[in-house]
Amino acid sequence: MVRLVTGIKNLDHILEGGIPAYSINIVSGAPGSGKTILVQNIIFNCARQGVKTLYLTTISESQFKMVRNLEKFRFFQDELLGDKIVYDDLGMILRTQGASQALQYLGDLVKKYLPNIVVIDSIKVIRDLFPDEKNFRMFLFDLAATLSVWEITSFLIGEYEEQELTRLSEFAIADGIFHLYGQEEKRFQKRYMRILKMRGTNYQQGEHLFQISSNGIEVYPRMKPEGEELHYEIKHGRKKFGIPGLDEMLGGGLREGTITLVSGATGSGKTLLALKFLIEGASRGEQGVFVSFEESARQLQNTASQLGWDISNFLHSGQLDIRFISPVELDVDKHAFEIMEMIKEKSVERFVIDSISSFENSVSDLKKYKDYLWAIGQVLRKQHVTAIFTSVNENLFSSLVVSKSQISLIADNIIFLRYVEDRAGIRKVLGVLKARGSNHDKDLREYEITSSGINILGKLDKPDMLR
Amino acid sequence: MEEAAKDIIVRYETLLKEMWSESAKYLGTLSTNLLVERVVWELSQEYPAVRLLKYGPEGISCAPMQVNEEKSFNDLEEMFMRFVTRYVSILAKLLGHERAEEIRKKIITEFGGAC
Repeated sequence: MVRLVTGIKNLDHILEGGIPAYSINIVSGAPGSGKTILVQNIIFNCARQGVKTLYLTTISESQFKMVRNLEKFRFFQDELLGDKIVYDDLGMILRTQGASQALQYLGDLVKKYLPNIVVIDSIKVIRDLFPDEKNFRMFLFDLAATLSVWEITSFLIGEYEEQELTRLSEFAIADGIFHLYGQEEKRFQKRYMRILKMRGTNYQQGEHLFQISSNGIEVYPRMKPEGEELHYEIKHGRKKFGIPGLDEMLGGGLREGTITLVSGATGSGKTLLALKFLIEGASRGEQGVFVSFEESARQLQNTASQLGWDISNFLHSGQLDIRFISPVELDVDKHAFEIMEMIKEKSVERFVIDSISSFENSVSDLKKYKDYLWAIGQVLRKQHVTAIFTSVNENLFSSLVVSKSQISLIADNIIFLRYVEDRAGIRKVLGVLKARGSNHDKDLREYEITSSGINILGKLDKPDMLR
Repeated sequence: MEEAAKDIIVRYETLLKEMWSESAKYLGTLSTNLLVERVVWELSQEYPAVRLLKYGPEGISCAPMQVNEEKSFNDLEEMFMRFVTRYVSILAKLLGHERAEEIRKKIITEFGGAC
């Protein structure tokens, strides 16, 4: 099938290669939802590949404003105007001479410019010029026929409400429908796109985040756990922490390709434990990625040096990659996708997210958060990456809550860190709650964090200290 | 007009009528006429006589061509061939090569291998 490659980041991936050629596509959404920018971004990308567009506005004044507004985007290229992108007005002729003359005019323009793409902005304005539905429907039918016969891929832009999408006649003639809308999340004004229909091709359903920046439109496909049963090869190798007592407790280290949840209260050493896991891997020549929502790479480097771990060489060589995403900037829709892409692209063997609690706090939809973690988990397992997710336990002295939202279910292994009171002091203990495929140590063991690293001490000999 | 030219017009009229009605089954009469209009427009600079083709909701006809005395045998043959080739190539894009090929074969069978 011939497709129109949009060149929009990830949109062609969602559409399995692009928009089917010669299709009629409606781009709907409220004012300011990004409809015009999306289409403009597509036609400029296409123009660079030699594809010609005829862009028909319905209010002549808007052409000037539209071009002026486009200048701030990197995709805009002045020299393409008039050659590969031709702007014209259809509104005036419709208003003064009627539908049949407008179609005749459109036909003349098509013959004159021979465009591959025609955009009508906005089809909703044209609808409003018609006295009744019947006449508008006839106009649409003729329009659709003309565009198809001239092998034109078209975009009809309109300010439609979501409830109108299934009711109005223009949606019946459309081969594809892109609906754009905004939604308030906890911290961000988010923009989403849903493809409601796309004849002739498969496409990823559901809402996809998109952003508008000076780069134009960037789409972040909806992440969802795969429906089918996950089949992956179970590896029998072990990945050690390089902390002798802990590796012994786990029966020789973490099973390769498993996901471990390290749950603990603030200051209990979750981040250090996870970092040590990657350092140990790096010293064995294994690639590790640490995604941090809590501390920057420099902070982590300083912390590591206080424990006698020099990670600068590993960072310099790329053996260890620390990606810091400020919790203020954390946008789960976007960053979860980027994390998955990073895992797929790099030959990562050890991977850490510190912490999934920050992930959870940044999203208002708990279901979406779980879906994202499941999806990341599936990618990790498929790639045989041994991963650690840290999770904050807000109750300092309780081990009963491993994580909120039943996220512990995705973990193959669970290590918990907790505080216990001992007379007037506080001690730290560590336990392995679960280690899939391993006969793990069931004892609680005291541990210490010193200038020479993390040391596992003896068994907790005073069970009454646990409450 | 030469007798041979008249024969060509008659022969190709049969072909075009067949092509038109087969296309209309898939595209409808409106789109079929738009397709004819497109091909006529594309060839009209090179072959002005193609504008004499008459088409509408009832189908396509070459009748106005038969009273045109200027056209030679060679010009007409070439014009019709170009028309059919271009028409089928666009049709293939609109309907897919498989279906266009079916239509082409059907026309060949009924027309006796002229395209």
